[in-house]
Amino acid sequence: MSITYAQVKAAAAELYGAALKKIPEDTKDALRNAADAESNDGAKKILAMMIRSAQAAESSSRHVCSDAGIPTYFVRIGTAARLDGSIRQAISDGFDHLVATIEPPILKHVTNPLTLERGYKGKDMPIVSFDLVDDADYVEITCSPKALGSGRWAALEIFSFPTLDVIEKYVMDCVLRAGSQHCPPVVIGVGIGGTFDHCAKIAKLATLRPFGKTNPEPILAAMARLLQAVNRTGFGPMGTGGDTTALAVHVEYASGHGFTPVAVCFNCWINRRAAMRIYNDGRVERFE
Amino acid sequence: MAEVKSVRLPTSEADVRALRVGDFVLLSGEIVVTAGLPTHERIQEYMDAGRALPIDLVGGTLFHLGSYSQETDGAFEVLYMNPTTSTRFNPFMPRFIRQLGLRAVGGKGGLDLASAQAMKEVGCVYLSFLGGGCALHSDAIKRIVEVAWSDLIAHYRLVKLEVQDLGPLTVAIDSTGASLYDELSRAATARMPQILRDLDAARAAAAGRG
Repeated sequence: MSITYAQVKAAAAELYGAALKKIPEDTKDALRNAADAESNDGAKKILAMMIRSAQAAESSSRHVCSDAGIPTYFVRIGTAARLDGSIRQAISDGFDHLVATIEPPILKHVTNPLTLERGYKGKDMPIVSFDLVDDADYVEITCSPKALGSGRWAALEIFSFPTLDVIEKYVMDCVLRAGSQHCPPVVIGVGIGGTFDHCAKIAKLATLRPFGKTNPEPILAAMARLLQAVNRTGFGPMGTGGDTTALAVHVEYASGHGFTPVAVCFNCWINRRAAMRIYNDGRVERFE
Repeated sequence: MAEVKSVRLPTSEADVRALRVGDFVLLSGEIVVTAGLPTHERIQEYMDAGRALPIDLVGGTLFHLGSYSQETDGAFEVLYMNPTTSTRFNPFMPRFIRQLGLRAVGGKGGLDLASAQAMKEVGCVYLSFLGGGCALHSDAIKRIVEVAWSDLIAHYRLVKLEVQDLGPLTVAIDSTGASLYDELSRAATARMPQILRDLDAARAAAAGRG
């Protein structure tokens, strides 16, 4: 058997829809824990509303947020995967299928940056990146629709041989600049090193990591201190004050030259991410 | 838990002036929503030309909410609505608040101090909606009163809706000029040197030098 155009197209549509209507289980748990721990009454109330909103959307198959974002897919192809058909086109067609069939329909957010015209299609849409996984017999697709609320505040700066204090200060600068704007509590992805493009990508991928896993690199594991630092800023849920500005800070790194990019990006509280593995033998695994 | 006040629209200047940052409100009555920069530009053009807006906003509300409206058999329905970031409308809002005598504006992320000043003069509040609150906000819609500028894409249109118990919404800027956004930003900035010093200490401890 092989992995077909039809399977990948269906996966691209299903994952987008799932990301719009259901927030990940670990994110719900983190919101509940945050609501329990909050010392600010108003923030507690807002966190409780977030949980209610997520439950209402999921149980009635509606969107959590009206900004359906733009389609962004990460595809990892196993080198032992057998592909049949136009797999790249399948992702694009899957998104088109979603636009044509999803209920309720989504708003037009794909924007031509030169004319500001908006629609469902555009140059380089969907944004898809590919990677290879040696010997795996599957294709893994992750969908993370990106919207303006949190997308607006991502930043990257290139330093020269920065020490960790410089890097951490930059992260905090980005947090201060985003302030109340990015629909907190957010998940913060930090990329350190590599090149301009690679650094941005690992920061983005860091936002998509499940919660609660300790980073195997001890220096990055110790940077969990950033979560506490971010939450001491006090911006709180929806930026109207409280102890919970971030649910997680995930840091990734890559070797590079002495010019070291540091990228910081944010996922808003609904933390859109949905993923699927399709195996050669037809098995399908869904995860968040 | 913070108390929630019910506010019936249209509301009076005195009732708006009684609200304070941190209060929670539930809105009932008619609201006007849009999420479009082109819409704000068009409102401004109409004001410049002295033309009447297609929906009367005087003494009313203007919320930065994106809504999905569609026309079927000559009647509009609104499938859902949810807030968008207000700060990108900063350049427009002080004039709109003053000239239209708005009693409430809102969305998410707040407005700047120029808008807060206009709100203080006029007697207006900024209400913070739950972002990602699509299902909850949409359930408060009772009726579509009017959809204007339907030549624009759905979330840019000017839409008047009747709502029942919309919220709870947080009063985030009040008519005394107090702004939670400004206060929180200042507080975080003031706290940052200590936060960075504590990060330094934690880093040193982690490196075994603490």
